Amino acid sequence: MYVTNGIVIGVINAISAIGVSLIVGIMKVVNFAHGELYIFAGYFSYHLSISLGLHPLLAMPLSVFLVFVIGLVMEKTLIRPTYGDDMYSLIITFVLSIVLQNAALLIFGPYPNKPPSLVTGATNILGFFHYGNQRLVSFFISLGILFFIFYLIKKTWFGKSIRAVSQDREMSGLMGVDHYRINMLSFGLGAALAGAAGVILAPIFPVTPSSSSAVSLTAFVVVVLGGMGSLKGCIVGGLVLGIIENLGAAYISTMYRHIFAFVILILVLVFRPWGLYGQKT
Amino acid sequence: MKHREKWKRVDGPARIFVLILSLVVWNEIMDGKKTVFLILLLILAIFPPFVLSQYWLHVMIISLFYVMMASSWNLLAGFTGQVSFAHAAFSGVGAYLSGMLAVFLGLSPWLGIAAGTLGAAILGLGLGFLCIRMGGIYLSLTTLGFSEILRIVITNEDHWTRGTMGLQIPGLFAAYSKTSYYFAFLFFAVMMLVFIYWLIRSEWGVTFRAVLNDEIAASASGINTIRVRILAFTLTSAMAGLAGGLYGHYLMLITPDIPSLGQMFLVLAMAVIGGMGSFAGPIIGSFILEFLSEYIRTWGEYHVLLYGLIALAMARFAPEGIMGLWANKRRNP
Amino acid sequence: MSVLIEGKNLSKSFGGLTAVKEVDFHLSEGEIVGLIGPNGAGKTTLFNLITGIFPPDTGTLSFRGESLLERKPFEICRLGIGRTFQIVRPFLKMTCLENVLVGIIGRGEKGQGKGEKHEEAREILQVIGLAAHEQRLSKDLTLIEKKRLEMARALATKPRVILLDEVLAGLNPSEIQQALELIERIRSQFRITLFWIEHVMGAIMKASDRVVVLDQGRKIKEGKPQDVVTDPGVIEAYLGEENA
Repeated sequence: MYVTNGIVIGVINAISAIGVSLIVGIMKVVNFAHGELYIFAGYFSYHLSISLGLHPLLAMPLSVFLVFVIGLVMEKTLIRPTYGDDMYSLIITFVLSIVLQNAALLIFGPYPNKPPSLVTGATNILGFFHYGNQRLVSFFISLGILFFIFYLIKKTWFGKSIRAVSQDREMSGLMGVDHYRINMLSFGLGAALAGAAGVILAPIFPVTPSSSSAVSLTAFVVVVLGGMGSLKGCIVGGLVLGIIENLGAAYISTMYRHIFAFVILILVLVFRPWGLYGQKT
Repeated sequence: MKHREKWKRVDGPARIFVLILSLVVWNEIMDGKKTVFLILLLILAIFPPFVLSQYWLHVMIISLFYVMMASSWNLLAGFTGQVSFAHAAFSGVGAYLSGMLAVFLGLSPWLGIAAGTLGAAILGLGLGFLCIRMGGIYLSLTTLGFSEILRIVITNEDHWTRGTMGLQIPGLFAAYSKTSYYFAFLFFAVMMLVFIYWLIRSEWGVTFRAVLNDEIAASASGINTIRVRILAFTLTSAMAGLAGGLYGHYLMLITPDIPSLGQMFLVLAMAVIGGMGSFAGPIIGSFILEFLSEYIRTWGEYHVLLYGLIALAMARFAPEGIMGLWANKRRNP
Repeated sequence: MSVLIEGKNLSKSFGGLTAVKEVDFHLSEGEIVGLIGPNGAGKTTLFNLITGIFPPDTGTLSFRGESLLERKPFEICRLGIGRTFQIVRPFLKMTCLENVLVGIIGRGEKGQGKGEKHEEAREILQVIGLAAHEQRLSKDLTLIEKKRLEMARALATKPRVILLDEVLAGLNPSEIQQALELIERIRSQFRITLFWIEHVMGAIMKASDRVVVLDQGRKIKEGKPQDVVTDPGVIEAYLGEENA
């Protein structure tokens, strides 16, 4: 069962990680506010469902959309001016994460918010064990999102532009790609993916203002493990991390769940800094 | 006693102190006579224990702690371009190593602080080596991870560290005296600042800034950029460890809040708002933000959010912070 | 004339893209060797290989007999190979004096006091013609001034060879003339060998002793300027670029 848990969480990790990877690959910017976008989506989902009474199936996409817009605004106002200056973009997104974290505390309060689940009950998996239905549904939704992302990146014009910009900004500019727009949309997409992970997981793991750092850390480790800028890497990395964390938490220690992430990070940096599928620079 | 009342109690002596300080600073700006200004400042620094209330003396001591933290972080980020998020963590290493050695082995706090500084340096060396091969992004990510993991470990190993309840550790002096602590902090802060100043003005300073500006061009010009970065990282981690050790033995109760990202943020904000890449920026930032936070606390713990917003605005519109704005004003009146 | 830099069978690929393929070249003391070729021919990649920014996939590289492979860029600089960059990159937030100082510090020599280093930096700025801008931040300089500063910085490292990467790009004719005079002075006064990537054909043909032509990663021709310029293969490579 732990492996299943690992797979489910892993796939969601992958989505979250892609959100980071996208932004890093295109803009060379690490979005430290990633975790905060995740929890904001969770909060939106909660309030839209509970306070406004919207059906979860409506609340979830709407929350993701809201976070997408926030991402666009963030890019336009704060990130854009820091192009070419790695240091300041790191500082800005870090400060942003602190600001958003505190804002979440202020606006939503310190108590865990748990948006309603889409389904309830459990299913019997191949006769081995019972597994929560909500988790199963989350898994399939995540798979759907992954397929959608793959389609977007590989097949559509937008995806091709993204890949062109990430490989060679100057050349793609010469070929008529509006890289300001691409950057903004990529950032928004990255934010949306964080939000998607948030709305999917929030019904299982309620959101609190302090849960954002763990989310960010997990996403970053997945990106490093899988290789910066590699989609495939995010998926593989997400699965590996998900499984290891769950197995580790079950058999070794629950309190140190996040240590595994960090240990993996260290091992990767020592032995293979460019990750599983990354490019050796 | 409520915060609001404490602030009103600042009256006479403290206000005079602040007034004199501002006059001296103004004088320096006008005349540019740095040595006179420094001597005056040093003399002035003797006064606080005798004119301030115990509460405001405490705030001064805390400010000095932040001066050490912000200045050393600025040396790393503002002068070599490495944005580390493990600075607060290293201060935690200093505090906890020193504190636990005192509690469990009966080691003298002064020796403990030395041990804490060394421990932070060694960890800094290790972490620096780890991150050195890939770009700045990796350094930031790894230091972030390291910081959080350290905090988690300290929180969970409560058998040794008492976790969030906090570990009581002995003070620096047999008889508790804020005045003694003030001068201890002042001494170490001044020593650290002198060292940083000397470093910045030396060839190392030029080398650091070359790496900051353009690493590839620097190495094409013969600079061993890897050695520079690791040196800076190790040195500044040691400084953070020192500051943390002192801090711990002052508070006499250390908690996982010390190596937290919240603390890291404050240090960063002080450097950014004060002015990254300058010498005086972090000093000014530390004093202003720390004193201001005491005032803001009267309404609630909003200073973090406020500082975050200011830091964002600064990073976006005035990347050289207060010092930068000041310098611009001097250039174009 | 002794051979300073020798490269044999150098190849480098990035992902699926071959940037340099089986290139042989050599540089002898005192020469000015031009390196030309259409865009994307692999010229800057070759420079990056020489200066150790990344290792070649195959091939050998040596400087005065010592292998350059496995050496870090700063070591290669200290051996005596300096360079300028295609897109000029002085240390923008540092003064001109400090820019040159970095080159002096980068030599890693002992026994020179701080004052002496500053004096030397001033002298170099004098030679280059930037003495008046000593205290100015390099970001405030014009393009040609920045290029001169990069040259000064490279000179400060006391190189035997300087790799020039499109120094004339973006300059107007009179500035080109100034740059050429400067380069000639560097060559004769400091006796520095030059390996020079350039697109301004007239200039490089006039100044070079020998020219190497790359196209799509391969060396297609090497020889005296007048031979290269009339070679059908070379003409085709450039025409091909025009029609692309």
